[in-house]
Amino acid sequence: MIFLSRLKAFASSRVLATLGMVWLGVIIFAAVTAPLLAPFDPTEIDPIARLSEPGSLYWFGTDHFGRDTFSRALFGARMAILIGSGSVIVALLLGGLVGMLSAYFTTLGHVFMRIVDVLMAFPALLLALVLMTLLERSVINTILVIGIVYASTTARILFGMTLKLKNEVFVDAARCSGAGHISLLFRHILPNLISPLLVQASFIFAFAQLQSAALDFLGLGLPPEMASWGNMLSEERIYVTRAPWLLIFPGALIILSVFSMNLVGDAMRDSIDPRFKNDIAGV
Amino acid sequence: MALLEVKNLSVAIRQKQGLITVVDNLSFHVDENETLGIVGESGCGKSLTALSIMGLLQGSQVRITEGTVCFDGVDLLILGPAERRAIMGDQMAMIFQEPMTSLNPVYRVGDQIVEVLLQHLKLSRAAAKQRTLELLDLVRIPNPILQINSYPHQMSGGQRQRIMIAMALACSPRILIADEPTTALDVTVQKEVLDLMGELQRHTGTAIVLISHDLGVIAQTCDRVAVMYRGKIVETAATKALFADIRHPYTKGLLNSLPLVDGDVEWLDTIPGQVPGIETVLPGCAFQPRCAFADERCSYEKPNDIRVAGGHWARCHYAGQST
Amino acid sequence: MSQAILKVNRLQTFFRTSRTGVFQGHDTVRAVDGVSFEIKDGEVLGLVGESGCGKTTIGRSITKLDTPTGGEILFDGRDVTHLSASRFRPLRRDIQMIFQDPFASLNPRLTIEKTLIEPLYIHKLVNSRAEARRNAVAMLEKVGLDSTVMDRHPHEFSGGQRQRISIARVMIIAPRLIVADEVVSALDVSIQARVLNLIKKLQREAGISMLFISHDLGVVRHISDRIAVMYQGKIVEMGQKQQIFENPQHQYTKRLLASILRVPTLEGTHHVN
Repeated sequence: MIFLSRLKAFASSRVLATLGMVWLGVIIFAAVTAPLLAPFDPTEIDPIARLSEPGSLYWFGTDHFGRDTFSRALFGARMAILIGSGSVIVALLLGGLVGMLSAYFTTLGHVFMRIVDVLMAFPALLLALVLMTLLERSVINTILVIGIVYASTTARILFGMTLKLKNEVFVDAARCSGAGHISLLFRHILPNLISPLLVQASFIFAFAQLQSAALDFLGLGLPPEMASWGNMLSEERIYVTRAPWLLIFPGALIILSVFSMNLVGDAMRDSIDPRFKNDIAGV
Repeated sequence: MALLEVKNLSVAIRQKQGLITVVDNLSFHVDENETLGIVGESGCGKSLTALSIMGLLQGSQVRITEGTVCFDGVDLLILGPAERRAIMGDQMAMIFQEPMTSLNPVYRVGDQIVEVLLQHLKLSRAAAKQRTLELLDLVRIPNPILQINSYPHQMSGGQRQRIMIAMALACSPRILIADEPTTALDVTVQKEVLDLMGELQRHTGTAIVLISHDLGVIAQTCDRVAVMYRGKIVETAATKALFADIRHPYTKGLLNSLPLVDGDVEWLDTIPGQVPGIETVLPGCAFQPRCAFADERCSYEKPNDIRVAGGHWARCHYAGQST
Repeated sequence: MSQAILKVNRLQTFFRTSRTGVFQGHDTVRAVDGVSFEIKDGEVLGLVGESGCGKTTIGRSITKLDTPTGGEILFDGRDVTHLSASRFRPLRRDIQMIFQDPFASLNPRLTIEKTLIEPLYIHKLVNSRAEARRNAVAMLEKVGLDSTVMDRHPHEFSGGQRQRISIARVMIIAPRLIVADEVVSALDVSIQARVLNLIKKLQREAGISMLFISHDLGVVRHISDRIAVMYQGKIVEMGQKQQIFENPQHQYTKRLLASILRVPTLEGTHHVN
């Protein structure tokens, strides 16, 4: 009986993860093929058709400039994928390196990890806001800022894992063979961190969506002329009663994407090395 | 009638290939005031046997497929959970290998013993505490009045194992199952703990099933021995009789693999090969692939228990011939 | 068997441990406290003692995995006590260590081939991948494994096989001194005997010196020429093995020997542990 129920739980968790993957596939497909799929130019203004309801011509309706919401949502997917992967790369490279090196070289670690502690004392969004106000609104800056925000958590997590791995017998054994620091770090320690890093990446990807949407909404993220889900929410928020579809569609897209990525992340976490399960608690 | 009688016990593990039998048709008994040793290498099924007796087989992957475990004439395997709980701890107790993980680190050791007493005996808290002090004294914890307030991490491994023994003895059980009770301990402490168990047995008449991989521990503490290999008892006899006249090639190989302490040999005798994986099905004798004495017959015909002498049995076709 | 390859004089290795409780400061554990011994060329010195006596720390101090607090370690007459990690690295070819837990001492991500050829590359002992591979196959055969294991990962092997691979990794660069720390304690009795025979055979063939650390008196007697008995960070007795076993002098050695649980048989007395 217990076996059956476990089997069911297992299968259902994988079903959700599969659905998450499928949804991400759809988003990626939309992002890649946006110029082909989009029925209209996302910046094309049609003053006559301002705030039209969703229908056969404008599937998701139009905004207060008369731009096609469906086309803008498609191009928004591009931004979502770009910001997500960009932030993941920045966070993992920066945070991963800082975390690993700090754990490996103890003295360096004292300095680096205190900086990380300070960064982590700020709520993620507040930190992103502070950094963004210092910078111009642009894709690169948004990626950098979100990447740095999550680099601190990544560094913390990798710091703990590397500390554990550093004292593993096989690392001692490699040291006894005469392996140098570079070899110990990148040949013996890093490969054992790949699967937790992948899990971490999936969570960062999800949270980057939320962060960038929030920054856009507050007018600090991507430049306003760019079609992103966050900008769509931000620009049309005053029409919430007259044209609720303008908020429902991009909002639903954000929620679905974040939720899907979290599902994938959870499933990945469940299947990795049990040693690290407690270290990854989400971002 | 024996106090504990295990008959045709089989335990199987669920694997991708289906159910795989890991304890195979095991039968043995233990009398009151007797110590039975079960010896074997890792994976031979000795710990699963102990867990089956105590009803501690957990999870859906392992289950008892056949057999009876009779304690004092009652088959434990058909009891309901409540009836079983009444016997466990009260009349049957178990000691595990790792004394650190078997004690709850956030409670004082005294309270943990008091808890067991309150659960099983109708005692007042004061009486339970008094009894706990007696027990600590019995297992030779120095300064019980002070140590009753210690936390597990403040004690040494040997002391913790003594606490485990005190806890197991709290309700004066009639049988004690000890699974590798001294494996985690140093040799000098091991001797003290084993001596203590022997002495307590002389006082209380408790039957003990001692499970170990260590032939020395078994030889020095047990009245009878059962040697296990791949889920089966391959040889069983009174301890003295067994080591005086070993009949099964596995038992012999195990003994000869041990380094000597009272002399020197150039090279140790070894058993070739390794234990085949549990999924490997052997039509004949389970030890045949590694046995130096095996012949044609051993590869297709499963050996039965051959009686060597009174109480000495060996599961080998050629056990009748002295080697 | 005359030249001392390793000389340890008044070695001390202390550790700072945090006390229980957050604001309690540090305690100093004197893991090894003034230990002196030497190992001659081709000799096996057994180091026996109970858990926590400091025997592992001695091994780790010699191989520079732990930093000595005081005293000196002379390898081949040269003081190596305070060499920096990079200055010590060339010496690692000569001083090797085999560890207790065969399940933890091999990198789970590397194939057996990569594990075996890594030390060859580090010490620049081969010129080509093909030569490294040939060496690895030859070494595997010496430890009783065949070349089919080269592309496999550690998790596919049993404890005994993994310990053979660990031995091969150490022996492949032909070290002059091996520190063997409880190398057979995690193995089943029948496997233990074969690994012990293998270590003894390889040690004899190559004339390697060895510090063999174990809690198991029978194992130590079997493999060692001389034995040192350790108790609470100090060596309390040292001598030829027959002398230690048959005529122990120190109180602790006597207690240790009295704790051996023997298996009485017609032919003689065996024991475990």
